[in-house]
Amino acid sequence: MNFSFELAIFGSTIAVLIIMGFLLYFFVQDYRKSLLSKEMETAPKEQANAYLSRIRRELSFSAFIMDDSKSIGIRYLITSLAFFFIAGLAGVGMRISLWYPNPSYLTPIQYNILLTEHGTLMLYGWATGSILGLGYYLLPSLLKIKKDSLGVLNSIMYWFFAVGGLLLIFSKSTASWYFYYPLTDQLTQAGGGQFSFAALIGVLFILTATCVASIIFLKMIFLDRDEKIRISSMSLFVWSIVATAILIISSAPISMIADGMVIYDLINPIYFTGANSTALGYAIMFWFWGHPIVYVAVIPAFGLIYELLPKYVGKPVYSYSSGVIALLLLMIFSGTVWGHHLFNSGLGTLWDMIFSTTSFIVAIPSAITVFNWIATIWSGKVKLTLPMMFILNAIVDFIIGGVTGVMQSDVGVNALIHGTYWVTAHFHFILLGVTTGMAFAAIYVLFPTFTGGRRYNSAMGKLHFYLTAGGTYVMTIPWALGGFEGMPRRVAGYFGIFQSYQDAAAIGGVILGIGQLIFLINFVYSAYKPVTISNDNILEEASS
Amino acid sequence: MNRITPVALFLVIIIAAVGTFAYFVSPSSGSSSQTSSSYNSTMEITLYANANGWNYNSTHPNPTLYAKTHVLLEFKIIEQDNFPHTFTINPGPNESQSNAFINVNIPAIPGTVVWVNWSFSSPGLYTYWCVVHPETMVGQLIINSSANSSSSPSVIQGSNLGNGSTVNSVEYWAHEEF
Ligand code: HEM
Ligand code: HEM
Ligand SMILES: [Cu+2]
Repeated sequence: MNFSFELAIFGSTIAVLIIMGFLLYFFVQDYRKSLLSKEMETAPKEQANAYLSRIRRELSFSAFIMDDSKSIGIRYLITSLAFFFIAGLAGVGMRISLWYPNPSYLTPIQYNILLTEHGTLMLYGWATGSILGLGYYLLPSLLKIKKDSLGVLNSIMYWFFAVGGLLLIFSKSTASWYFYYPLTDQLTQAGGGQFSFAALIGVLFILTATCVASIIFLKMIFLDRDEKIRISSMSLFVWSIVATAILIISSAPISMIADGMVIYDLINPIYFTGANSTALGYAIMFWFWGHPIVYVAVIPAFGLIYELLPKYVGKPVYSYSSGVIALLLLMIFSGTVWGHHLFNSGLGTLWDMIFSTTSFIVAIPSAITVFNWIATIWSGKVKLTLPMMFILNAIVDFIIGGVTGVMQSDVGVNALIHGTYWVTAHFHFILLGVTTGMAFAAIYVLFPTFTGGRRYNSAMGKLHFYLTAGGTYVMTIPWALGGFEGMPRRVAGYFGIFQSYQDAAAIGGVILGIGQLIFLINFVYSAYKPVTISNDNILEEASS
Repeated sequence: MNRITPVALFLVIIIAAVGTFAYFVSPSSGSSSQTSSSYNSTMEITLYANANGWNYNSTHPNPTLYAKTHVLLEFKIIEQDNFPHTFTINPGPNESQSNAFINVNIPAIPGTVVWVNWSFSSPGLYTYWCVVHPETMVGQLIINSSANSSSSPSVIQGSNLGNGSTVNSVEYWAHEEF
């Protein structure tokens, strides 16, 4: 018999992988056992998992094999953080390329690839992923859940989310995060758009995971929580998850149906570009979810502000009931305003007026929320810690973002600024200041728990804050100003008259990028410091 | 906390970010690395996307097209027959999807107009065709080198501004072979 070298290598690789798999499994089982208390070791999995999700848990890659809720949360947090850095680098890359009016180091197609990946990964990977992560991580301790079932389903849905993100990355789509047909179908020479169908499948995977996770959150909140916690005294973060979950379940499926129809259209165009159908049909189905997702990205951040603010001010939230009512009103109204993205698409004057009005009405619950925070700050004494700085910045950024949002909801003003950088500025204020800022604030608050009793370096943390907050303004204010003069968004090059705005924004983008790098360095550097404090944190309450 | 978790996290995130960035800006394998070159004049070519031939109603259903290097060819492609088509161009006399540097889908609504702009830098024989109908929709494109190719980048103003401004050196010569 002759010896096949390839076969030997192949066989031994498989053998090593199997052995490594076994070892990994036993290591993780060991780790899990070390976390469980004596009486829990023999308890059924549901109860053991519930115990695991209530204790203070460190960051660990073992979470990828365990399936209690806290582990699932850790998985989502790690993954979404990776998506944030991937999409962030794409964003900074675009910004730098826009230094010169003519496309510089990025060709238009490369620019479009980065634009699409940045938009999709930021919204679906980072905003959605970090919210799912914080939800899975915090809800079990906030609600002291009695049982933690459905671990396998949670785990599968996490993998849907991760694979969906990978499909988005590998698709190199150029269709932007809307995936409008027929743009989705254009094949370009750099390979962009060649696999838009993969991006659509990725979005479907992520939305499936998001919907299932939302249902599980509702189950956790309404069925599994400790009886001693009454609905009327649940924490406001829990209420914000209730609002978010209902919003997701009631709007994401519409967009998923549309995505499925577009995938079919790629093979045989009958739905949105057939002889008697309209491309507007897709736009309507997309924005039915496209607007709610932006509120999905902020409502949990509102919940975090409500949760953390009292701890740094020393007074309870000014008005709990109006906080709950405002969150639920935000949920209801944000389902009714999607048409404000289509003011220039020919829905008709009557519809435009209706959506304009509903968009103005959203300002009411937003304002209730903001005034509630301000009243809370007013009633106490501010302790200016790092998370508190993120909170104050988030409030300011939300006010600016909200005002720009209400401005562009005027049909007339919208005709001016639609498709310009004004819109980009509007949502970066909120997505950077509120969504991203509060996610970082939560990570800083949870840092001692994540690392088992270590303190983050507060000088580097402050630098991270100043670069993030400052960079946001330096990047978005020129966008808003230029946008009002008509600086178009989503282009790889632009007219020379806008160069000063674009250059200022490029500087802001680089500042932002450096800031996030400092966050990462701080995280790793501080994790190697000696243990000095308890591993408790104010977000999960001192008593467990 | 495990000793290697923080470094592993750091490395995973950095490598993922840098690696995907490189992947995003890399030209994808399979497609040629050709790019549209600079140009100093434009030329419009109209073709009809029809399963029976690119110009089915004429005497030459698949005309041989002549053009020069450094001329921006503006292909105006009009959907005619409710079938999906692609407009695909690759170098050489034969159809080859893996060498195609232009591959654009034409939506199946009759009357839809798709514009494809390209300027060739090297002369030669190219094939234009439809991936869905490679038997009936295929023709040749012959690019000759332009005599006075100046390399200065030129700004082409829109010819349809409607304010009477005319564009320099717009040439319409979609020759047909007899
Ligand atoms: C006070 C509430 C708000 C109002 C009235 C509002 C209004 C609007 C309007 C009218 C547009 C469309 C602009 C255009 O394309 O012409 C828009 C776009 C957008 N808004 Fe808001 N907005 C509000 C809050 C938010 C929040 C809280 C977020 C995110 C966290 C957000 C994120 C976005 C995004 C991402 C877009 C652009 C989507 C795209 O075209 O890519 N908005 N907003
Ligand atoms: C790290 C800092 C960031 C930088 C430097 C950045 C930069 C950019 C740039 C340059 C664009 C393209 C503008 C255009 O050509 O129209 C953009 C678009 C966008 N960004 Fe960001 N961004 C950052 C953070 C974020 C975050 C945190 C989010 C969301 C959570 C986000 C969501 C979006 C979305 C949804 C778009 C629109 C994409 C589209 O038009 O299809 N960005 N950003
Ligand atoms: Cu909206």
